[in-house]
Amino acid sequence: MAAVGKRERRWLWIAAIPMALLALSCIYPIVFAINNALKTSKGYILDRFGMVTDPTVQNFADAWGRARFSEYFVNSVLVTAGAVGLLLLLSSLVGFALAMLRFPFRRLVFVAILGALMIPIQVVLVPFYRTVEGLGLLNTRVGLVLAYTAFFLPFSIYLMTAFYRGLPRELLEAARMDGARFLEVWWHVMLPLGRPALLTLGILNTLYCWNDVLISLLVLQDRRTLMVGIAALRGEYTTNVPLLAAGIVLAAAPIVLVYLVFQRRIVGGISVGAVKG
Amino acid sequence: MIDLRNVSKRFGGMTVIDRVNLSVEEGEFIVFVGPSGCGKSTLLRMIAGLEDISSGDLWIGGERMTDAEPYDRGVAMVFQSYALYPHMTVAENMGFALRIQGVGAAERRRMVEAAATKLHLDHLLDRKPAALSGGQRQRVAIGRAIVRDPKVFLFDEPLSNLDAELRVQMRIEIARLHQSLSNTMVYVTHDQTEAMTLADRIVVLRAGRIEQVGRPTDLYDDPDNIFVAGFIGSPRMNFLPGVATGPASIRVAGVDVQVPGLGTRLAREQAVQVGLRPEHLTAPEGVELPLAIEVVEQLGAMAYVHGSLAPEAPVVAEWRAGRPSVGERVPLRFHPRDLRLFDPEGRRIR
Ligand SMILES: Nc1ncnc2c1ncn2[C@@H]1O[C@H](COP(=O)(O)OP(=O)(O)O)[C@@H](O)[C@H]1O
Ligand SMILES: [Mg+2]
Repeated sequence: MAAVGKRERRWLWIAAIPMALLALSCIYPIVFAINNALKTSKGYILDRFGMVTDPTVQNFADAWGRARFSEYFVNSVLVTAGAVGLLLLLSSLVGFALAMLRFPFRRLVFVAILGALMIPIQVVLVPFYRTVEGLGLLNTRVGLVLAYTAFFLPFSIYLMTAFYRGLPRELLEAARMDGARFLEVWWHVMLPLGRPALLTLGILNTLYCWNDVLISLLVLQDRRTLMVGIAALRGEYTTNVPLLAAGIVLAAAPIVLVYLVFQRRIVGGISVGAVKG
Repeated sequence: MIDLRNVSKRFGGMTVIDRVNLSVEEGEFIVFVGPSGCGKSTLLRMIAGLEDISSGDLWIGGERMTDAEPYDRGVAMVFQSYALYPHMTVAENMGFALRIQGVGAAERRRMVEAAATKLHLDHLLDRKPAALSGGQRQRVAIGRAIVRDPKVFLFDEPLSNLDAELRVQMRIEIARLHQSLSNTMVYVTHDQTEAMTLADRIVVLRAGRIEQVGRPTDLYDDPDNIFVAGFIGSPRMNFLPGVATGPASIRVAGVDVQVPGLGTRLAREQAVQVGLRPEHLTAPEGVELPLAIEVVEQLGAMAYVHGSLAPEAPVVAEWRAGRPSVGERVPLRFHPRDLRLFDPEGRRIR
């Protein structure tokens, strides 16, 4: 690494200021939420921005119990796990097929999937809702799993196709010569080799599903997922900011945990799509 | 063992393999050779079942295999890039076909170890391909084919990713393997030296057609056409323009030569191409052609001297006596029985 001269160092410092501000703007809400989650309502009203003086965990207990977060939590976990599992399974199969197999119209299929990637969810909300309703999947967790799968599948397929295109076709041919049928090739060769991309995709889709409010609000109206539960807290308990803060901390904790564990994978995975378009 | 009957391959409108007929005997080592893009790999992949056969028929071991699945053909293939499964160990790579077939773990291990011993891979069985050298990967790829004990081995330029020294070593190893296994082998290469040294019979391909099939020495001594004559042998055969002066005599580079053993009667003034191999130009006696040396490639035991006998007729001769130098004028001598005649279309005149 080249030695950094005095003048350049000054420039580095100047660049560091906006970056520090950016980092602060990310960190502050987290600090705010944790800080206030530990206050009582009274403590919060008396001093909104100060540090907590006598911390209490009562808010967490209330959110978990009285505000039915335990129930929402189970819904979120089930729906996220179901959708992510289904997404990984389907995108790996379809990606393998699009990248490696020769069949009629495969380019057209890929273009159609890319096209689906360009459509914002908001545009199709009404037909989407009607479809879910028509299928009798309203207010079912299965409905939400399928909805997430449908919305996040194009990107997942795109990523897996790009990844598998980076692998030599001869691997498929070698496996065919070794007697593996297509599903066996997928299971024994493509699935294990796709692990880095699948891991990235798993993390990204977990984030999307877990953090989603819009789709969940439409499909699961009686039972709620965590994020919808939090959104609802604001309406019902307008004044109770500490309870809301505790809910946010509870909902964010698993995701932050996932992020910390897989940090390097997430950053590394951002370049996966760049293997070959 | 393998029968190709009028086999063709078309990609879109382009004919890449054009009505190929070939019979491969059991236990034979057949080499497909030809310039890059002539369709060697395509033909091999059609035998493997990795490319569809557009028209014609393929028979392997007496069964019609034109539309059979790759595995059902009883052939194993070694790819140019080796195509080892990166996430499996050497043992798992070699045992994969057996595992798919449902062979039990213990039996599999035994068979893999037997093959590994043949290829000196015993100590590498638990490594991943990434931890192997190029030569070792090559041997694993061959091992993966051996374990299955296929009727036919197919090789697609298996040595082209190795350095020169290793290539020679592996060539010998493959020859040895063929002697000990006695399976039928079909081997693709663009390197005529590999073809000459390995093959029982060579198939010379050009632009999707077979130019000639025969034993290496037959192709070398008795080529059917100017393409085969030029492709087989290194440095390549010299071609000089000549003209017939009688039914069995020609004039080449200003001298008259009687051609012995010619079955065809030449027409007077008929244009011919005269082919002479570099090692035939320094005979102790014979027809003499004076050459001014322009370039010398000195190899120690011998030298290749380059010059021209006529405008547009460069010549290379293999020189074993003394140390020739640039600018020297030397006599080339050849025996008339060593020259090969071709008509202007490149067909051999015998
Ligand atoms: N999948 C394909 N689609 C279209 N053309 C192909 C395909 N595979 C090979 N070819 C063409 O077929 C010809 C022969 O290719 P190949 O068999 O690979 O040649 P070789 O192995 O002798 O170098 C080449 O001109 C190549 O461009
Ligand atoms: Mg080739």
